[in-house]
Amino acid sequence: MSKLVDAIRELEENLVYKIVDEEIEKGVSPVDIVEDCNKGLVEVGNLFASGEYFLTELMFSVEIMEVVMEKIKPLLTASGDGVSKGKVIIGTVEGDIHDVGKNIVVSLLRSHGFEVIDLGIDVSVQKFVDAVRESDAKILGLSALLNTTYPVMKNVVDALKEAGLRDKVKVIIGGTITSEQVKDHTGADEFATQAMKGIEYCNKIYGH
Amino acid sequence: MFKSKEVEELYNRRLDRYMAAIRMQPTDRVPIVFNTTYFAEEYSGSTIQEIVYSQKHWYECDAKFARDFPEVDTFRSNIAYAPMWDAIDNRLYKVPGREIPPKSLQQFVEAEHLKVDEYREFIDDPVGWRFNKYFPRIFGEYDGKGAIRSHVAFLKMGFLQGIFGGILRENAVKLKEEYGVIPTTRGALTAPFDILSDNYRGLHGIMRDMFRNKEEVKEACQKIMEINVANCATMVDPTKQLPIFIATHKPCFMSPKQFDEFYWPTFYEGMMMFINAGYKFRVFLEGDWSPHWHHLADFPKGSVIFDVDNEADIFKAKEAFGHKNFITGGIPTDLFIFGTTEQMRERVKLLCETVGKDGGWGPLGGGHIPNDAKPENLQAMIDAINEFGVYEGQQTPKAQPAYDQDLKLEIPFELPVITPWEEFRDEHNWDIVGNEEMIKETWDKYERMAFSWVYFK
Repeated sequence: MSKLVDAIRELEENLVYKIVDEEIEKGVSPVDIVEDCNKGLVEVGNLFASGEYFLTELMFSVEIMEVVMEKIKPLLTASGDGVSKGKVIIGTVEGDIHDVGKNIVVSLLRSHGFEVIDLGIDVSVQKFVDAVRESDAKILGLSALLNTTYPVMKNVVDALKEAGLRDKVKVIIGGTITSEQVKDHTGADEFATQAMKGIEYCNKIYGH
Repeated sequence: MFKSKEVEELYNRRLDRYMAAIRMQPTDRVPIVFNTTYFAEEYSGSTIQEIVYSQKHWYECDAKFARDFPEVDTFRSNIAYAPMWDAIDNRLYKVPGREIPPKSLQQFVEAEHLKVDEYREFIDDPVGWRFNKYFPRIFGEYDGKGAIRSHVAFLKMGFLQGIFGGILRENAVKLKEEYGVIPTTRGALTAPFDILSDNYRGLHGIMRDMFRNKEEVKEACQKIMEINVANCATMVDPTKQLPIFIATHKPCFMSPKQFDEFYWPTFYEGMMMFINAGYKFRVFLEGDWSPHWHHLADFPKGSVIFDVDNEADIFKAKEAFGHKNFITGGIPTDLFIFGTTEQMRERVKLLCETVGKDGGWGPLGGGHIPNDAKPENLQAMIDAINEFGVYEGQQTPKAQPAYDQDLKLEIPFELPVITPWEEFRDEHNWDIVGNEEMIKETWDKYERMAFSWVYFK
């Protein structure tokens, strides 16, 4: 395992930045650096799955990755390697202003190479429908913390059907209040109570 | 004065059950001791806006619930008075009927209100930091609209504090006398780490600080604990009947290593000061506490009621710490909302036969009854408790009018004053000719109240 993978796994941010700077200096390909970083993130994800790391460690790994991407981005653009893995629309549904979970998913999606259209919080049904109509995203994520939003999530799915857009996107509902039963009630395609499950789903839909 | 002999008996029966439950003593049936029911608000027919703005609607909400579900031993509905948020333009809350729909629950806005380079300032002078940095960030009426509006806003907050206290007392007395309702808790303590993360740093801020500013986080938690404990001591039930309330928030986001380092030490130390003096607690374990809850077995038997959230497993909670202290929970939110009465009956039967078999458990959703629960499902839950939750031949011991009065609360911290009497006196060059002690005593008393206001608003 490279030092960079190891440093990310251990969340030693200063060491990560130092190694990245040195590798850029040495002329290592930006794609290779990102690949190592992604391996590190996978390690963090594994530690998360095994219960050693928790949400705050996962969030910190995303923060480190964001700093790294700031360093790498100009090089990627210059070499034309910054290709998006796919587009995802996401928002916290109407009646709910909680965005901790949504923001983590957004950051994780971006650090995994997806292009994210973040509609923010308290997003109206119409705004979701418009966003689906106006973009070529294949995935719509509805985030919520409050169980009062069950009917709202259902309204979004129903409105997509009415607008003839239901087949255009897969709908994933996310948050600790979601479950198989809530998924069935709302008519969504998938639910996720953990951020990583959402990312895996997006990878699956886009065939990565 | 109770309305009737029957109401008095009902009150006593409920109190006996609640006191016994908290102390892990036998009861005649599974105690139905809810913490919060947001359901009561929805069921009352009033909007949340009406309840948080009108004492009458709030009282009617509780009264209707108490009338229609008399088998429930304790419950609590909303506990907020929105004019207090309006008066000072408190930006920490989105208010039903104001900027969110009238039927929504109020929502807390978490943000970074303590900047990372302000830790030292906060630790050395919490009041100064709050007045100079925190209040301008969270109170829209702080001073941006001019001195007159600011002074009037603070004046209104002062008397609203008293008015709100009056509403709480008046409603509690009426509910007791009319319907035999007992409150769930009295007084509150908050885990220092939760205050630091919820109110000051926000989840993102505290997440970074746990890696980059470890010592400051720990020092701030210690400071918050000292102030919280001193303030809580002024609010507790002198009879030691009603438990002190704590809602926990952030443990579900923390790894065991972080929890052990940052959360647990000051949380446990603060609680134990009260437990050693005979006080009891009611703690809502928000989210999945299971990675940390082996610690909860450290609390003495019969000292804390734990409300277990739906993300955690009630059966495992029983094994880990529920053998020493009473736990509530076990009924999924979606069962309340989407389930059938028969599914509810089956779930309650299972819980009565397992976690509730030998006592120490009460039914609840994840710390509350969801607002859009079907009323027939709530009734089915109660009916199932009566069907499967009766402990044959067991009697509930009589509640005592007061507990552990021989144990004294020994807290090494005192609430500070903002302007000490001596400083005020000397500024005027007063040579006190009468009884100075009499003046100082009241001065300091109201100064401590002022500190408490400044610190806890």
